[in-house]
Amino acid sequence: MEMDKLGVITTFIHNIVVYNIPLLYGTVGEIVVEKSGSLNLGVEGIMAVGAIFGYIVGCYTNSMLAGILTAFGMGALMGLLFAALTVSLQANQNITGLTLTTFGLGVYFFVGNAIKAVRWPAMSDYSSIKNGFADLPIPFLSDLPVIGKGLFSHNALVYLGIVIALCMWYYLNRTTPGLHLRAVGENPGSADSVGLNIKRIKYLHIMLGCGIMGIGGYYMGLNMSGSFSSACWINGYGWIAVALVIFANWNPVVAILGTFVFGFFNTLRVSGSSLAVAFPETLGWLAAVPTQLYQALPFIITAIVLVASSIRKREGSGLPAALGLNYFREER
Amino acid sequence: MPEQYAIEMRGITKTFGSVVANNNINLNLRQGEILALLGENGSGKTTLMNMLSGIYAPDAGEILMDGKPVSITSPEDSKKLGIGMVHQHFKLVDVFSAADNIWMGREKSGFSLKSGRFGEIEAMAKKFGFDIDPKKKVRNMAVSEKQTLEIIKVLYYGAKIIILDEPTAVLTVQEIEKLFAVLRRMKEEGHSIIIITHKLNEVMDISDRVAILRKGEYITTVNTAETNEQELTEWMVGRKIDLNIARPVVEKTHPLLEIRDLTIKNDEGATAIDKVSFYIRGGEILGVAGIAGCGQKELCEAIAGLRPIQSGLMIHKGDNIVGLPPKAILEKGISMSFIPEDRLGMGLAPSLSITDNMILKNYADAKGPFVDRKSGRADAQRVIEELEVVTPSTETPVRRLSGGNVQKVLLGREIKAGPNVIVTAYPVRGLDINSSYAIYDILNQQKQDSVGILFVGEDLDVMLALCDKILVLCHGRLMGVVHAHKTTKEELGLMMTGALDLTDKYEDKPAGIARDTNITPEQLESAREEGEN
Amino acid sequence: MGFHIVKRDACPLWKKACFYLLAVLAALVVGGLLLLAMGVNPLAYYSRMFTMGMVGNKIAYKAFENYLKVFVPLALTSVALSLAFKMRFWNIGGEGQFILGSIAAAAVALKLGPALPGAVTLILMCLAAMLAAGLYGVFVAALKVRFGTNETLMTLMLNYVALYLLMFFGDRKADWNFFLQEQSARPVFQSFAEFASFPRIMFGKFGLNICVILTFAVGALVYVYLKYTKHGYEISVVGDSAGTAHYAGMKVNAIVLRTVFLSACLIGLAAAFKVGTAGVLSTAITDDVGWTGIIVAWLSQLNTAVIFVVSALISMLHYGSVAAAATFSRVDSSFANMLQGVILFLVLTADFFIRFRIVRTQKGGKK
Repeated sequence: MEMDKLGVITTFIHNIVVYNIPLLYGTVGEIVVEKSGSLNLGVEGIMAVGAIFGYIVGCYTNSMLAGILTAFGMGALMGLLFAALTVSLQANQNITGLTLTTFGLGVYFFVGNAIKAVRWPAMSDYSSIKNGFADLPIPFLSDLPVIGKGLFSHNALVYLGIVIALCMWYYLNRTTPGLHLRAVGENPGSADSVGLNIKRIKYLHIMLGCGIMGIGGYYMGLNMSGSFSSACWINGYGWIAVALVIFANWNPVVAILGTFVFGFFNTLRVSGSSLAVAFPETLGWLAAVPTQLYQALPFIITAIVLVASSIRKREGSGLPAALGLNYFREER
Repeated sequence: MPEQYAIEMRGITKTFGSVVANNNINLNLRQGEILALLGENGSGKTTLMNMLSGIYAPDAGEILMDGKPVSITSPEDSKKLGIGMVHQHFKLVDVFSAADNIWMGREKSGFSLKSGRFGEIEAMAKKFGFDIDPKKKVRNMAVSEKQTLEIIKVLYYGAKIIILDEPTAVLTVQEIEKLFAVLRRMKEEGHSIIIITHKLNEVMDISDRVAILRKGEYITTVNTAETNEQELTEWMVGRKIDLNIARPVVEKTHPLLEIRDLTIKNDEGATAIDKVSFYIRGGEILGVAGIAGCGQKELCEAIAGLRPIQSGLMIHKGDNIVGLPPKAILEKGISMSFIPEDRLGMGLAPSLSITDNMILKNYADAKGPFVDRKSGRADAQRVIEELEVVTPSTETPVRRLSGGNVQKVLLGREIKAGPNVIVTAYPVRGLDINSSYAIYDILNQQKQDSVGILFVGEDLDVMLALCDKILVLCHGRLMGVVHAHKTTKEELGLMMTGALDLTDKYEDKPAGIARDTNITPEQLESAREEGEN
Repeated sequence: MGFHIVKRDACPLWKKACFYLLAVLAALVVGGLLLLAMGVNPLAYYSRMFTMGMVGNKIAYKAFENYLKVFVPLALTSVALSLAFKMRFWNIGGEGQFILGSIAAAAVALKLGPALPGAVTLILMCLAAMLAAGLYGVFVAALKVRFGTNETLMTLMLNYVALYLLMFFGDRKADWNFFLQEQSARPVFQSFAEFASFPRIMFGKFGLNICVILTFAVGALVYVYLKYTKHGYEISVVGDSAGTAHYAGMKVNAIVLRTVFLSACLIGLAAAFKVGTAGVLSTAITDDVGWTGIIVAWLSQLNTAVIFVVSALISMLHYGSVAAAATFSRVDSSFANMLQGVILFLVLTADFFIRFRIVRTQKGGKK
């Protein structure tokens, strides 16, 4: 009995990680894009495109790596589209991002339905994919009671997500290209005047960020065991990622934390009832909380963070000063 | 064999839409000299230099360095060629440290960002003779610190040719001295320097040669030692300034607007105007002289009700207007027009038509829910005819007009409303001589109609000829009010730099306080109480 | 020798129209190539799509009625959004405001509908929806005015808060929850079609819903409002230069609040029209008009008349692709979303050539 209760907690912690890592990919990707001064509202669509192509190519080649690379590549391609329109053609970023979402979801369903009409690849038929997505326990750490299985026994893409987030933090704050990127997002005019190639920097990082989002999409597909239905795999995670960027104050490490905070509520929605059953006295009330509240909470929290930071106008805000503004050198 | 110039610009032309900013300009810079680029506001100096720094691409013309043609299509090219520019509006990233602002443009600085960079930048700055705190964030720096940082930056990137755009506009006298010492030292070290300015004394002081632009055209280049201020001015403005501006004698009325002990803060929270007193009578033009950024903008905004004041009184015909909304101040007949540097920022809606801009201040007076564009159109038509505005129609967006015409539209609207006090700042900014004269005539016309005019200007010659009295500000403090026909340029210059304080020139009458004041003792008392709180 | 881009002063109308037309045509060609690749005759598909399956259809009038049901909320929402956009207020909260409007309208219909005459119910539904949506919108405007909170991100967040509120009402069986059917064990939204449906004017078999007429009327009013009234004038000045508006004595904050309120109110009205036509709530009640409306308003360059044309075309795209999917089973109806994306990408490209010119850098000055 006692073991069971602990088991419920372990599963809960495990689920927080498993179900919400795609948020981390989306958020870190969007941070990279926003640090270049571009507000990209197309995360949902980009993740969807990365998901569908990554999944199909991964299955057909029976290669996890091919799936990841395809998802990254397709995400980057969507990023290229965004960059071409907003950086080279000076299009409005909000409109372009929203269109990217519509377009991406269109592509997702169009391609998905077309494949389904012929033959839908079932994940279970592809050993490399299935095994590639299996949990890899970290030696020793995973033997810890309760949190061992919860935190240190996950599939490779979870670890990859964390590693990418840490790398991106290092990249942004401790490297020269990161310094260049931040300069572009803060004040493109000054970055331009010292001879930085604004266009190249923007293109590269928009594509890099969107590629990372694409991997997140791929993850979601695998996590749904590749079952294709009328609801998109991404299902609003792209929008939560946009919110999480604000919550994380444009810091990839805080984004890891934010993923767990948002993921906590998200997981309560899915497995709150099992907690309520395991601990009727203390957590019985969880069963009565409407699931929609958990779903809305990330957005409510972010809204509060947004308002609070605009009231305090704090010194350490990570909001890039030139976010959302296109740069045109000959502007007078 | 022709001389090998460090830089030679041949036949440079640049247009923005229908505006020709530079027309077929030739300019050359010798090795190791300081060349002053002289011209009025809007004569195309900055545009020309921006083509050397790669911000703008010329429409036509070629650039040679050491006799060889070069192509500058981006700031990157410019930097590689050893050209560095200190822009008037600094190009610094506010949230970065001093060192990072320099570091970000350094080439081959490796992948990872070492903390050793701070020491390296500091040492390098010392080598050039500057003391900086490499970890200080730009947003915490004073203006002169930012400028120093910009200079260090271009030196660090190995610039042999250094361009400074109006570097003295924001500096104090001492800081200017220091800057000039730095420039002389850089010259000795073999740098070639171009300094943009429109201040003649600085030109005479620092430069070896002077190149003059006027209205986007190249005029000439002369050796500084072989010329004088008079001659330079002639070239700059195109004709001898026998500034034949009329100063009609008009009977003056009681004070219309009285300002007493006014204190205002600027956007950064520093004191912009410090306990300033003055008054304007109907039928006179009161000039406001001062170095750029010494509180003129804040003063204008406060009078128009756009900026809260810290303490003091603003009395219009006996009524206190402190704290009134802009609308109420307008209704009292106080008109304010301010021509900012970009000319469109305040007072006009650039995308809207001339008609729509005409009705900006009185659209609310029309009866019913609709705007009265018919009378607006008639007003627009009248302003176009009377002030000779060049425009295709009354429905043309203001943005598409040239600078002079924009200003005529603005002033025309202000006068049409029949104000009793006109506050106008830089109304001839960037205008050619003829347009400027048209504006002076308009102001004199108003003066003869017993309107009181506060004229914030840049050109002392103009103010000496046009104004009845001149009020001088230095860093937000009143240095005195002098009669224009009794003072001299030199005296004004001394007051502007703070070297001469004439506020107590007359023992029986402090400067800026009228003998026949409308201010009641009660008003003074209440203002004093508020100031103490 | 290089190229560089410069801003254009003005672009003649015919040239603009040509650019846009070219962009749409190019998008159709791209879509056509895709169809060809799938072994579908593009001409056959497009003709099916653009006639929305009405040709050779015995109940074509029905198809047109359904098309108008798609068109009305989209057109009205786009018009509403253009009000805020004109002031450079990035209201991307159309979805959330629409949802709150729907909930309010449905609440009125369910609570008061049975007791009141139909016309009164409908009017109250419209008012309640407008108020609910308007307050939801003005809340963000107030934060923006007071604290400078970024309205793009804020409205975005509130869209989802509203969506989950609606899903909550649609999901939770409880005594207080009058939105759901009492009889059904599973949560199903209660229909109120009998006592709260907008009337139709019959032309033979074709019934013109009064909402269509009202939408055009509101559109005309907004056109007049923006173009001829003092309020409209204030909006264009604030949108063009807030500093100038302040200088001219306008109460900029009040104007922002008022305009955003009005914008959100009209979105609420669109929601009331939608709910009062559908006769039942649904978690997909918005049909994404809050998103699509942003795109329509932008494509139309905030011109009210053009908004009607563009919404008609976009609705045609969406409704038509569903109709065409019936004939061409191989082409999924999501083709419309893709095509819409491609059209917009190319229109944005065309926009670039309207705003800028590419100039060759010449050598040598004037001779």
